[in-house]
Amino acid sequence: MAAPLAPLAPLPAPLALQLTGLDKAFGPPDSRTVALNQADFDARLGELMMLVGPSGCGKTTLLSILTGTLHADAGESNVLGHRLGTLSQAELTRFRREHIGFIFQDFNLIATLSVWENVAVPLLIQGCGRREAEGRARAILAQVGLKGREDEPPKRLSGGQQQRIAIARALVHAPTLIVCDEPTSALDSRTGQQVMELLTSFARDPRRCVIVVSHDPRIYRYADRMAEMEDGRITRVLATPAAIAAAHPSI
Amino acid sequence: MHPAPAPLDCAQTDAELNSILPAMNRLALRMLFGDHAKYLMLISGITFAVILMAQGTSLFCGLMSWTFAPLRNIRVPVWVADPKVEQVNDNKPLRDTDVNRVRSVEGVAWAVPLYQGTTQAKLADGSAKLITLTGLDATTLIGAPTEFLAGGIDGLRLPNAVIIDEYGAERLSDGLGRRLGVGDTFEINDREARIVGVCKAARSFTGGPFVFTTYERAVEYVPSQRKLLTFVLAAPAAGIEPQELAHRIAAATSLAAYTNDEFMWSTVWWYVKNTGIPINVGLIVGIGFIIGTVISGQTFYSFVLENLRNLGALKAMGASTAILCRMLVLQAFSVGLVGYGLGMGVVSLIGRAAIKTGRVPFLMIWPIPVGVLAAVLFICALASVLGIIKVARLDPAIVFRS
Repeated sequence: MAAPLAPLAPLPAPLALQLTGLDKAFGPPDSRTVALNQADFDARLGELMMLVGPSGCGKTTLLSILTGTLHADAGESNVLGHRLGTLSQAELTRFRREHIGFIFQDFNLIATLSVWENVAVPLLIQGCGRREAEGRARAILAQVGLKGREDEPPKRLSGGQQQRIAIARALVHAPTLIVCDEPTSALDSRTGQQVMELLTSFARDPRRCVIVVSHDPRIYRYADRMAEMEDGRITRVLATPAAIAAAHPSI
Repeated sequence: MHPAPAPLDCAQTDAELNSILPAMNRLALRMLFGDHAKYLMLISGITFAVILMAQGTSLFCGLMSWTFAPLRNIRVPVWVADPKVEQVNDNKPLRDTDVNRVRSVEGVAWAVPLYQGTTQAKLADGSAKLITLTGLDATTLIGAPTEFLAGGIDGLRLPNAVIIDEYGAERLSDGLGRRLGVGDTFEINDREARIVGVCKAARSFTGGPFVFTTYERAVEYVPSQRKLLTFVLAAPAAGIEPQELAHRIAAATSLAAYTNDEFMWSTVWWYVKNTGIPINVGLIVGIGFIIGTVISGQTFYSFVLENLRNLGALKAMGASTAILCRMLVLQAFSVGLVGYGLGMGVVSLIGRAAIKTGRVPFLMIWPIPVGVLAAVLFICALASVLGIIKVARLDPAIVFRS
């Protein structure tokens, strides 16, 4: 009798994006500042990929390139099947509109709009009717725990609640790629953890990929994988939560 | 790897744009109105500029309308004057025989003499005030006032009878303790003038009230001179245009002959060319325009700068530059139109008060609101362009920079 088959290792999820050999420098030719130097980076669907490193290492530049808000000087950016370097400005605008949800470090909420109006902005930009946009915005706000606060101006809410609004805004149009730039840097430790738990729950969806840029070690434990960056290069990729914990014992 | 998606279709159809625009327009207005301080500043700048521009030009038109007040009071087809006379307040007397010379021109239906000049009226308290004395043909009373507040035209044939205007009833009442009325008297050059009517009349540029009497009595009131006939008023026979008659009279008599409209424009241009009024009013209007442009342009630009991160966030989230520019244009023009409405409202109130008292020149003709609107739209367009340049160059990656 044949020995029982060993259980198969789960297949890796498909890549959501793959950046290879990225170069980017700023400034005049005689005093150029190199932001990226042959940087390679990838992220898969259904995972929370964290990009970490010290300030000035090129994280934000990499994030700008993978969202199509900045062109690389050299290298290949394949995001959700699109080669970003070949897309026109109009195509990049549409690409961002349809496929990317943004969570900014400073929230970037429009102070003169109500909470639900802020959340509805990506839907309105896509041409969604106001009534439908309002309904979807209110629904997602309930998911992030802000039911009852929809009609208030954002400034009346705490920092953590404002970041929840930003998260709701990033998710409301069901994008594939959710990009978070230092999402906890303006928050206290406890609120930061709540926000990360929320993001982690959304990253469990196999149709989504969450990329978090941070240099806050308090949130490293929420990453499925982690890319460490220094001087414009990815220096190490930690492929499992266990590897991350081992590399950063303080978390 | 993520499966290759369908190519991006980036051409926004009219239907797509139409579906986006109302919501984005609303968003733009909410962004604008939400910043109360900035919004009020923007509105104030435009409103102030509109007030200066509209009030200045209305004052100018009002002043100009005062210059041809005799032409508004006495509406006849043709005015005949000395060849050197260019405006209706000028007094270069004709000979009495010139009336008959005009009557003899073919096509003249009638021609009558008119005296017009300024003189002093002595009031009840002994003081003297300037008046504009108008002497009408006693037979026909052509050119007599038509709108009376008291009395009427019939009394004008009585001895020493005069008709004064509404302003005169107030202005010439010093020492009386009440407004002058029918039956009251005052003196013109030591001769009694008995009021038989109070009429409505346009204000004169010289500031003196109009006093109407017959031609013969007017020349008795004023100091004796060899020639006292100021104008000959004429009308064309049936089938002849006033302009044609004016040409015929000028050719036949070598006198100056104008239609009512020609004389009005000749008067206005004389004042424009020979006084500093247009320069002073032009300065007010120019300052208004510059203030509007600078304050509103600068405030709107700083509004754009303050919202740059929000605009960058919208751009990063997929709002096209065209949509953002439309939002800016809407914001600028809505500020402009609200400011215009408020400014014109204030000017209308000022104008209403000015017309009611009759002491401040004010005439708003239709080119004024149209012209001021054009200036406001220009200011808005300029403010929009500054913002559009900024937004067009805006790097959406700005939102990732702290």
